[in-house]
Amino acid sequence: MATSRSQVRISRSPDDVWAVLRDPMRIVEWFPGITGVSMDGDVRTIVMASGLPVHEDIVTIDHRLRRFQYKITGPLPVNFHLATMDVIDIGSPDAPETLLVYSTEIMPDPMSFVLDGATSTAIANLASILNDHAEERS
Amino acid sequence: MGRKILFITTDQMRYDAIGANGGRVARTPVIDSLAANGISYDRAQPTNVVCMPSRATMVTGQNVGTHGVWMNGVPLPEQSASVARVLGEAGYRTALIGKSHFEPLLDPFLRFGENKHAMLGETTGSHGFEFMELATHGAAGFNHYAQWMQKNHPEAMGGFFQVLDRELEVSGVPGGDTGAPQIKVNPIDPEWYHTDWVARQTMSWLDSIGTDDDWFCWMSFPDPHHPWDPPASEMHRVNWRELDLPENYVEDRAAREAIIDAKPRHWRKWYDGELVSNYEAPAKWVPATLTPDQIREVNAYAHVENELIDEAIGRVLAYIEAKGWGDDVDIVFTTDHGEFQGDFGFLFKGPYHVDALARLPLIWRPAPSAVQQDPERVSKPVGLLDLAPTFCAIAGVTPPAWMEGKPLPVTDADADARGFERSLVEWDSCQPDGTDVHCRTIVRDNLVCTMYRPGTMHDGTEGELYDLIADPLQRVNLWDDPSRQGIKADLLADLFDNLVESTMELRPQAPV
Repeated sequence: MATSRSQVRISRSPDDVWAVLRDPMRIVEWFPGITGVSMDGDVRTIVMASGLPVHEDIVTIDHRLRRFQYKITGPLPVNFHLATMDVIDIGSPDAPETLLVYSTEIMPDPMSFVLDGATSTAIANLASILNDHAEERS
Repeated sequence: MGRKILFITTDQMRYDAIGANGGRVARTPVIDSLAANGISYDRAQPTNVVCMPSRATMVTGQNVGTHGVWMNGVPLPEQSASVARVLGEAGYRTALIGKSHFEPLLDPFLRFGENKHAMLGETTGSHGFEFMELATHGAAGFNHYAQWMQKNHPEAMGGFFQVLDRELEVSGVPGGDTGAPQIKVNPIDPEWYHTDWVARQTMSWLDSIGTDDDWFCWMSFPDPHHPWDPPASEMHRVNWRELDLPENYVEDRAAREAIIDAKPRHWRKWYDGELVSNYEAPAKWVPATLTPDQIREVNAYAHVENELIDEAIGRVLAYIEAKGWGDDVDIVFTTDHGEFQGDFGFLFKGPYHVDALARLPLIWRPAPSAVQQDPERVSKPVGLLDLAPTFCAIAGVTPPAWMEGKPLPVTDADADARGFERSLVEWDSCQPDGTDVHCRTIVRDNLVCTMYRPGTMHDGTEGELYDLIADPLQRVNLWDDPSRQGIKADLLADLFDNLVESTMELRPQAPV
């Protein structure tokens, strides 16, 4: 089992960040290399830029904890996968700030490098989008 | 009109693979003729013994700590330093045809430009090149060769060895007559094989540019890197049953293991199948199971691939001659790193800075119209670090200050006069299971000294020291020899005086 973790600080309130992450369909807005998304019940199907579809079970959308979890179920050769995004309030009333932590547990191990590189880039991209948006509003 | 530059690379080729360096099996008359009319380097080293860091050094002219590509799976940023960009700005047409590997190959999200361009059918260059047409070790992946195969010969794609297994690990499925890992009889037509394709696309690009243009063309063959799956029709060239075993394979098991046991512990760990510190080596393959016949068969496949490369180079050189460019072209031939091919009982590569992996073929045939070159052999240490400034010098461009090498010397006296005293080789690896290995090597005064930094495998006290004169096969580790502690300390001090340290986070973006 390989584990990985990426994190980023975002100069926005946790509610603002959670508003993007809690909606499974909005992943195409912030995850580079995902070109399509659809939902069928709790099953999300994303399409990678290479054309490869990936099926995922949405496991948790916890508004109280601001936690989103999903599992890749196929057709990637994954024996086990659980990804967790935690949105954590680290700001103050005067200076809103959020820590976004994206953790992955996965088998087989080599997949961790593929996903870790992509997720670390994705959350940096999300932070950039939200921070730019914050500057536009200020 | 200036001197044109044909830069030819292979992938994972040993120093002794070619006739000009003493190779006795593969017939390489074309490469040998370059040596006969140019300068051969007998101590040329990479900065790292896997593809991406080494290739990043070739294109940037920088050490690993500067360009930042510390392992396979770590991308070289598109806007990084590039000798191709320098030459382009000086008026050169620039192309890279074949294997670049500046960016990770395993890229389902298509995050990297080279993969993206190839999938879109574009030949838009990156990393300073105006044109790129890419290939890798088979007909799979996000590259132009795979696209070409898919379009023209889809029925032949399955003839290549399937590199990854269902768990995305590098496969060790046995093949051939002996059950050796990563070999396969490939029924592909030789004209469809990537070696021929690279040569053909090189000529096609050269055909597209003006006769009076200056050009820098990197023709980059994916072979003889594993998997070893050359066209079946060519296997008659070398009968594995008739091959001698490599000089540095010790047939007696106890003697072989005693040599390995005198080296730092990760050698024996890999040998016994308890550690794989390089993703590219098959995860489930155990070197201790390697038989003499398997070594013979792997070597036969590699020799066949090297002959095909030599012939492909010959066709390109004949084309260049026919274009009337022959006297105006500088030709540089080398590879990115070596291969065990049976030495010490191993195949493939990893954190093992012995000559099998870290001593490379390197030949420079200057343009005859510019230099009347007698055949020369340079024994002083040089490196792939010196290629980019050499290309600048050929083009009449002052090497930029960000290049960290020097134009290659043309004689040992020239090397002495310009301070070619040492070369450095680095390794850092972090496996998904948390295993990490970090080592640094200096080669100087016919000594090879490698120190291992603390990690999960080493405690910071282990190392290797070899005397290349007394022990050219690097079998006797002098690291703990009391009589060598003075020179060891001197070499390590010199190593750290010249090492470019990086503070970047060791976090790969892909396995390879």
